[in-house]
Amino acid sequence: MNLNDYQTLFVVVTLGSALIVASPVLALVVSFKGGSEQFSEFWLLGPDHIADDYPFDVNAGEMYTVFVGLENHMGSSEYYKVYVKFCNETQSLLDSDEGVPSSLSPLHEYPFFVEDDGVWESSVSLCFNNVVIEDGILSVGEVVINEVSFPVDVYAVWDSESEGYFFQLFFELWRYDADSHSFTFADQSVGLWLNVNIYED
Amino acid sequence: MGSWLKFLVVSVFLFSLVSLPWVNASNETVAFSEATQAEAALTSAYDVVLEAEEAGANVSSLLNKLNIGSEYLAEAYVWYRLGDSQNANHFAALCYNLAEDVQSDAVALRDEATSSRMSESVVVMVGSAVGVILVVGTCFVGWRVFKRRYHKKVLGLRPEVV
Repeated sequence: MNLNDYQTLFVVVTLGSALIVASPVLALVVSFKGGSEQFSEFWLLGPDHIADDYPFDVNAGEMYTVFVGLENHMGSSEYYKVYVKFCNETQSLLDSDEGVPSSLSPLHEYPFFVEDDGVWESSVSLCFNNVVIEDGILSVGEVVINEVSFPVDVYAVWDSESEGYFFQLFFELWRYDADSHSFTFADQSVGLWLNVNIYED
Repeated sequence: MGSWLKFLVVSVFLFSLVSLPWVNASNETVAFSEATQAEAALTSAYDVVLEAEEAGANVSSLLNKLNIGSEYLAEAYVWYRLGDSQNANHFAALCYNLAEDVQSDAVALRDEATSSRMSESVVVMVGSAVGVILVVGTCFVGWRVFKRRYHKKVLGLRPEVV
């Protein structure tokens, strides 16, 4: 190695050391946000707090419990809303492929805040009242969610193929967008298909 | 006198028939407006909490308070949908007050975190600048020393005297 090679080596070592020493300043300027995937995990669990034994054949006047929950992996605190909606087989349902929420009015809503990597969960007790069958049509007049009654007027015709009166109760996830200052549909929903019956003793 | 009394009773009856639904509708409008205001206050509070979080503050306690406020808000909407304006207003007011408290706490926390981050940044920048000067200076001196020894020992040359 001649003197010029040593000089080059000294310059490289000097620049490298200076870069290392200046790295805290670079960290202040350069943001590394968004390196990992950002998402919200949304789930519905059965009465035993597992993904099993979901209510399906439900009887009018009886109480059923499910758990709806969410884990925030968006990289910051988030403000969410979960809308509870109830409809029959033929009413317009959520088109999850196109990210379009259902046009139905919500029965109930859960607004909540979750910090980054935080979990939110709520038990939801359900009961269907004022259920009447007339001329092969079953109508539900009241849905009770967490002991609060909500009047509804939803009916289903007898499905002879699957043998039942089928309804869907589902939970839509919406997220607050701080840039637009409004809630937007998070393109996520979980729900239950229910065969509502009236069993008489 | 009797006819005047009858007229008065009938007038009051007719007036109450006409005005009661209007009063009821007005109460519902007020309840909805209160709930909407409470929701707006909650959202504004969250915006400031988010700014505080971005500034590096720990906002866990504020989020817990916001969650209590969101429960009040949900309750207010439930009562509104069930037509109970009094309870709807009550819960909307609870939510609004809590959101206002959170917002003022969040502003203080955000400002504190921002000034703390600012002074940290100044320390980091000054420290880095001093460090870079020291590194460059040390390397420069080291190079000069190395170069002199190189000339003396490796090449066996003496520095020329001018």
